[in-house]
Amino acid sequence: PNHYCTILHCSSTHRGQYNSIQVKLGDIFPHHMTLEVWVEAHNKLGKIESEHLKEDSGWFVKTDPPSDVKVFSERSFPTSLLINWTHRIIKERVKLTYQIRYRQNGTQNWTYVPLGDTASDIKSFRLQDLQPYQVYETQVSCKNAKEGHGYWSNWSNIVTKKTPEDRPTSKPDLWRIIAEGDGIQQVQFICKDPVLANGRIIRFNIKIQDPKDKVKNGSLEWKNITRSSQGKITDLKQIDLADQKYVGVYVTATNSVGNSPVASLFITAKAHEHAPVEELKVLPHRGQLWLEWKPPNSSKLVSEYVVEWVGSAQTDWQKEMRNTTRTAIKGHLEKFVCYNVSVYPIYHGCIGKPASKKAYLEQGAPALAPVVNLNDKPGRNQATLVWTEIPQGRRRGFITNYTIFYTSGSEVHNLTVPANTNSYTLKSLSGNTKYDTWIKASTIGGSISSFNHSFTTLKYAPGEMEFIVVGVSLGFLFIMVMTMLLCVYKKDVIKENFWPQIPDPGESTIGNWLPDYPLKAETQESGLSGISVLDVDVCDGKCVFEEDKASLPLKKDKYLSEEHSSGIGGSSCMSSPRQSVSDSDEGGDMADTTASTVQYSSVVPASSGYKGQTPNSQPQQALFSRSESTQPLLDSEENPDMLLQEASRQSPPRRPRFTDGGDPAGIAEQQELLEPLDFCPLGEDSEQDTPVDGQAADWLPAAVPPLSSYMPQLGGYRPQ
Amino acid sequence: MNGHVKSMNFQQFMEQATTLLSLLLVMAVDSTRTVAASRNQQCGNPLQQTLKLSRLIQKESVDLIKTYKASQGEMSELFCKVSVNNIPDPNISGMEHSERIVSIYTHLQDFLPHFNRVYDQQTDLQSSTSPLLTELNSVRAHSINLATLTNSLYQSLFPNLPVPEPAGRPTTLPPPQNVFQQKVYGCVVLKTYKELLLNVSRELRTLKSKMCIRRIQINTFF
Repeated sequence: PNHYCTILHCSSTHRGQYNSIQVKLGDIFPHHMTLEVWVEAHNKLGKIESEHLKEDSGWFVKTDPPSDVKVFSERSFPTSLLINWTHRIIKERVKLTYQIRYRQNGTQNWTYVPLGDTASDIKSFRLQDLQPYQVYETQVSCKNAKEGHGYWSNWSNIVTKKTPEDRPTSKPDLWRIIAEGDGIQQVQFICKDPVLANGRIIRFNIKIQDPKDKVKNGSLEWKNITRSSQGKITDLKQIDLADQKYVGVYVTATNSVGNSPVASLFITAKAHEHAPVEELKVLPHRGQLWLEWKPPNSSKLVSEYVVEWVGSAQTDWQKEMRNTTRTAIKGHLEKFVCYNVSVYPIYHGCIGKPASKKAYLEQGAPALAPVVNLNDKPGRNQATLVWTEIPQGRRRGFITNYTIFYTSGSEVHNLTVPANTNSYTLKSLSGNTKYDTWIKASTIGGSISSFNHSFTTLKYAPGEMEFIVVGVSLGFLFIMVMTMLLCVYKKDVIKENFWPQIPDPGESTIGNWLPDYPLKAETQESGLSGISVLDVDVCDGKCVFEEDKASLPLKKDKYLSEEHSSGIGGSSCMSSPRQSVSDSDEGGDMADTTASTVQYSSVVPASSGYKGQTPNSQPQQALFSRSESTQPLLDSEENPDMLLQEASRQSPPRRPRFTDGGDPAGIAEQQELLEPLDFCPLGEDSEQDTPVDGQAADWLPAAVPPLSSYMPQLGGYRPQ
Repeated sequence: MNGHVKSMNFQQFMEQATTLLSLLLVMAVDSTRTVAASRNQQCGNPLQQTLKLSRLIQKESVDLIKTYKASQGEMSELFCKVSVNNIPDPNISGMEHSERIVSIYTHLQDFLPHFNRVYDQQTDLQSSTSPLLTELNSVRAHSINLATLTNSLYQSLFPNLPVPEPAGRPTTLPPPQNVFQQKVYGCVVLKTYKELLLNVSRELRTLKSKMCIRRIQINTFF
């Protein structure tokens, strides 16, 4: 049959990639009319049609969401909210069915009202079983009520509403903080709002029971404490536990409607008797701090657990059920802060012994670097470094190790030490080298390096310089001593080698040697024993006139004013004391005299001072020829008158030779050479060791020529 | 041969009666189902759509009257009480369902020119954004659709009957009118149209109640 149908031709062209579209079917929607819809795809090569959809117009419709959605709360129904809305489309056009969803403010998951509960053609709905004093968000959607027809509209705008208050239905969260001070244990009871506060808590009510208090008619008085306006923890009361072994605390929370159930907490002295949880582990995971533990042996008596965490400025806790062995801290934790996490088993209100561990939610590099310094002055090959410990609040993590770096400029060395050390001795360093050192403190989250500290190692090791100096000094001293000893003991040899006395041929005279001059035994009697005359022969070194020693007068002071400049004369055994003109004054001239060799002749005493000779008797005529020397002068030499008298009878006067300046005439008159005697020079001590008179005889020359035969020697004598 | 020979005529009769009764029962059920099937087809989509659309237009016509009166200014209540000639009859005529459906279709067609006349007049009298014009346009469009659906319904219910003649019969429109007359004329047309739609809805409901078979009646029957 021919069906006369109103064909509503409508087309719209859209270019591009589409798989859904909204089309406006003219100014008037063809309600209750059958629509035939298809899609044609065109390209340059042709077109193709899709399947034809022939359905009631309502089948294709997506309505707008309900408008004017309102939510009402009623004080008498704290767990319910009433939702109202208006139909935007009259039921004669299309009958609608609705869908409602709601959630608590701040949550993500929606709760959907069953479709069967939201029958079509309704304008209101009551939500039930809600939480009191909570903000809920509500949305409504609608669709053609005919099954299989139409599409759900978009959700309406979110409408929020808070449910009314109700009395608290759970206990307040009661806990305590124990502090030690002045030997007294203080307990601060703190409290948080009940989980199901069902309203704004305005105050807490507390009563404390201890054995000291008298129970009044079986009940204690409640004390009201206003809830803290800052933060979620309220300080209730602080008591001293001094001698108390038991304290019981009871707390309720109050809002505008009523009071909560009673929470209780007991502190007993027997807390340590209950074992703590075992194998407590605290580990960060995905932004939370997770705890794991094993129940204590007395787990059957445990009613719940309290997890407490103490940070730098906060203490917080949460309660867990008795069968919990793994949980995460739900409170806010800050990164890089060390928390002391404890788990307390609660035995029906009695607090047990805790198990504690320190943990970080997240570790980072320390905020403050250690300060490195030298413990003491560096050595030559080693230096001891010390560094300060980073304050607990600046560590931002557990220090795993310290790494010490040091370099002398060429290569950087490093070594790692455990975290529990704060000093280390660097060894095998180079001496006299500048080193730069720094230390790096590391955690698992990073590390930080200290500033450089420079030091220079010693050139010499401690004591080395002293050792060297002492050694050198001792060595030098030894050498000096040896040299001195050598000089002392080998003076003659040295003198002979270095200052050989070379007689001046020009001044030499031929003297008559009287070898038969008797040596009397009286020499001993005259007290001139000990005077000996040495042979002037340098090479032989013979001591001549030894028997005349005693007979020779000798002035102690003259003869024994020994020159210590043993350079005079070269005779090896010329150990006789000499008196040189240079004794007193010209010590430097000693060196000059070393060049002259003195040829001595024995001195025969010619005066009464000589043995075997009587005064005024004919003096012994001992004629000697001698050269000028620096021998000490005899008495006769000091008394030139006597010498002149003698000299007139004896040898012609001699004429001293002077190489340098001076007063040759004066010296010639006064100069008188004394025969060298066989006594050794005493060196430096010779001047000091002036022999006594009794000993003077030992030092007297063996033979003293007549006074007149000697020319006094005075200062200014110069070697020939 | 035995001497005891029973007569089995009654048993044979009962057997035949039982068989015949069973056969009749099956035929009755089958015919009922057939009728139900055919009647369900008649109670199908065209009738439902026609009925729903008539209800929609009826609702819209009620709102239209209110909007019209509110947009005509003072004394608008009096406009609808004035009698006007040459307005189509809002009553449905005919004895048979087919005749009545044709009557519905015919009356809807007869009102269209008057509707157009009122729309044109109000276009001059109202602003372009007047809601009266929007509602007039909507009712007019839905009326056209209703006429179409009525035609389709007739053809689906009575496929062997001749198709009603399409619209085009001579319609007597009033001569040019002044404003007052236009307002009166428009109110009378809309009021009469509302009555027509009320009658159409009523008629279609009646038709639906007869055409659509209920399951509970079948169960009750057996």
